[in-house]
Amino acid sequence: MIDARDLRKEYGDFVAVEGSTFSVDRGEVFGVIGPNGAGKTTTLKMLAGLLEPTDGDAEIAGLDTETTEMRQQLGFLPEESPLYEEMTPLSYLEFFADLYDVPSDVAHERMHETLDELELEHRDRPLGDMSKGMKRKVAIARSLINDPDVLIYDEPASGLDPLTTNYVIEFTEQLAKDGKTIVFSAHNLFHVESICDRVAIMNEGQIVARGDLDELQAEYGETRYRVYTTVDVPDAVKENGNYRTVVESMDAVERTRTAAESSGGHVVDIRTEESSLEEVFLNVAEAGTRGTRYVGEHE
Amino acid sequence: MKPDKLWRVATWEVTKNAGGVDKRTLAVMALSIAAMGAVAAVAVSGGGTGLNADIYRVGVEDSSPYYGVADSSGRFRIQEPDPNALRQGNQELGFRGTRLLSLPQSEKQAAALADFRSTTESYNDRTLARAENQTAAFPVAVTLVYEEQGGTSVLDARESSTDSGTQNGTAENGTGTSTADGTGAATNGGGDGTAAGGAGGGSGEGSDGAASAGGGASLGGLGAQLTGDVQGGTPADISPPFPFESLVLAFLYIVPMNFVIQAYGSSMLSERLNRRGELLLVTPASRGDIIGGKTLPYFAGAIGVAALITAVLRFSGIAPSGSPIAVLAILPIAMLFLAATFCGAMFARSFKELTFVTVTITVSLTSYAFVPAIFTDVTPIALISPLTLVVMDLTGQSIGLGEFLFSTLPPLMTALVLFGLGAGLYREEDMFTQRSIPLKVLDALAGRIKSRRSAAKMSALLIPFIIVAELAAIAFLFVLDSVSLNVFGTNQTLGIVLVLGVVAVVEEIGKSLHIYAGYAHARFERTLRSALGLGALSGLGFFVAEKGLLIVRLSDLESLPIGDAAVSGATPPAGVPLWVVALVFLFAPLALHAVTAAISSVGASRGRWPYVAALGGAVVVHFVYNFTVVSTFA
Repeated sequence: MIDARDLRKEYGDFVAVEGSTFSVDRGEVFGVIGPNGAGKTTTLKMLAGLLEPTDGDAEIAGLDTETTEMRQQLGFLPEESPLYEEMTPLSYLEFFADLYDVPSDVAHERMHETLDELELEHRDRPLGDMSKGMKRKVAIARSLINDPDVLIYDEPASGLDPLTTNYVIEFTEQLAKDGKTIVFSAHNLFHVESICDRVAIMNEGQIVARGDLDELQAEYGETRYRVYTTVDVPDAVKENGNYRTVVESMDAVERTRTAAESSGGHVVDIRTEESSLEEVFLNVAEAGTRGTRYVGEHE
Repeated sequence: MKPDKLWRVATWEVTKNAGGVDKRTLAVMALSIAAMGAVAAVAVSGGGTGLNADIYRVGVEDSSPYYGVADSSGRFRIQEPDPNALRQGNQELGFRGTRLLSLPQSEKQAAALADFRSTTESYNDRTLARAENQTAAFPVAVTLVYEEQGGTSVLDARESSTDSGTQNGTAENGTGTSTADGTGAATNGGGDGTAAGGAGGGSGEGSDGAASAGGGASLGGLGAQLTGDVQGGTPADISPPFPFESLVLAFLYIVPMNFVIQAYGSSMLSERLNRRGELLLVTPASRGDIIGGKTLPYFAGAIGVAALITAVLRFSGIAPSGSPIAVLAILPIAMLFLAATFCGAMFARSFKELTFVTVTITVSLTSYAFVPAIFTDVTPIALISPLTLVVMDLTGQSIGLGEFLFSTLPPLMTALVLFGLGAGLYREEDMFTQRSIPLKVLDALAGRIKSRRSAAKMSALLIPFIIVAELAAIAFLFVLDSVSLNVFGTNQTLGIVLVLGVVAVVEEIGKSLHIYAGYAHARFERTLRSALGLGALSGLGFFVAEKGLLIVRLSDLESLPIGDAAVSGATPPAGVPLWVVALVFLFAPLALHAVTAAISSVGASRGRWPYVAALGGAVVVHFVYNFTVVSTFA
């Protein structure tokens, strides 16, 4: 559904994005993560046709990103979406529906349906009088007014309170379930982890790792084992009447078991613990930008 | 550009902003404009004497032949003749039949008598002009014959004669060295300016020839005062008469533009602040749809106001000849105001900067529109401003197609180029960046540079700017065309020398600024070879497009020495062998433009200050060349 090939963006001597290549299948949720200044927003804006790549190209549904036809199929939500504050949510959405050539009856039904789902009241109140969370909901409704197949959301929950953040993330999950193809960037890796099928990790303008979450975890994460014994062993911590030891290999598990038995005890439980995406991200970032690692994918 | 999208953006622009302005503000604005219009209309309807209405009290009976004279002018208040009132100074003039009751005893009474005499002459002229037997009304006929002198130039043989017997010989004013009628009259205009003014006043309405003789192509008293040739007089001595009505009419049309551009500039800038306009850029609406749609309401507003003013002037009887031509002539002015404001809004970083920009635009464009319009009797100069067309239409003068195109095309094309440059910045990566205005100007120029050939293309594209700037310079400096200088023994006028300087500066900037912008944005290789090549291409592009200056042939601008000097590169004189024409008027200008552009380009490739220095050098070379050509061939 989305193909980006060697995207590069330069601002004078500064290279904001370099060699950004990835593809997203129909109905997939693709996350783009990375520290500030990594090139995430620039990449998303090149996909949305807002920025012209210095080099490389991108297609959405087989259409060049700079074409009007592509824009017709796209819903874009920038990180900051200041609205026309003189307008009301309804007049604002009607205006954008017109620009997308959505028939007025369809637009009317769609905007009310979406605002209902987003639980937005006060639809005749000027946008300038609304809270940030309410404005974000209107911005999300605007991104859906043309019923796009592809959504590009840049930090959709940025700056929102936890309650609204969860609401927005859940709504995005629902959109994914409805079959939308979503490219999603976020600082909060928990959100990405919760809704993305695959992710690209960007650093200093480059995609340094890419793949589905399990494979990334296998490649960059660390599997840890929690070994619970009835007796104290080296580095153990007492927990709920037993002793817990965290080790990083099966050999270490075996050594712990031997130590417990030699002290007259035994192992009562062994639990496996995978790295979080945050830990994977930190490991990748520490590894530096030595080229993209395509995990579980064919280049 | 899709009409439906454009229309949608336009209607949105109207409804969005309508909601943002409260009704009280709208009412105050409407009242202010209406009050201004009313004051101007009253001033104009007073026959140009609104400020002097009823200043003289004249005692005259209905049966007196002077009753009609007093009634014809707004300056006189008619009363019953009263010798006591005359003695006490409560009446300035008194008549019994045709007899003046008493000679003037005060300065005001003397002024009233002089004015009454002048008004009587005008009244007589108008009466005679309406007579069925014109031969009886004007028994003296004048034939104008233009003769070649020495096969090099045509002198002014303009002659006038009026029924009062006043005669302004201007043939003898020609010194034999002038090349056009304007200079000859202007040179010696100071001496006869007052007399001509008086005669013009008496005969101007009766005959075009006489009116021209009064002012001719000269500035007469006004020009003489400005250039110090004679001592100053009263406004009545100014020749040509100060075009009060014309300026008030022009003022009526220009003032609403300033309101419109304030609102337009704010709307455009608000799209850029806080990235509000970003979401429009991802919709299927193109940049053209968005810019066009946002501009359309303001353009329609400006034109609508012009149409309304024209209709009011026409149907109120103030300017019964007002027609859609006046509105058409305002169109390029409106476009230019909006285009300049659009660019300003794309360059400004804040509303504070936008205020500075709009004030600059208002002052510059108002000057461009007004200054040429002052020279109502020097048609080629006056036609530089489209406002002159408006005034001509409102005062019932005919307008030729050539005159219309000469007046409107340069500002219209400049407006289109400005919109093009501003539109280049209407994209995500330029709209929301906070850079200083000079850097934004460079961004706008660099945005149009894709390859080396762009150097030639941009030089050609910027030609409308250059034409407008040079025409404005001619209009501004025309007043100095009568001050002779002895520069290197060439005896050129100050006006011509300054115009040549301005031409050199404007053209060299027009040929090189985009190259500098290209270097500043790393579009070109910083090598000597590249710089020379770019300079040559820029010079070539400019040379080809410069032939667009032939638009001046649509007017009679070349008939004025200052106009001829400004465009001499495009106007070979008659009688010069073809090979000389080819060499001097084709190859030499091409070489000049290529060489000077290359000089600037080499400087531009080395940075800002080397560019400034090189540009100065190029200007000097250009000026010396122009001065030599004008001195040799004029």
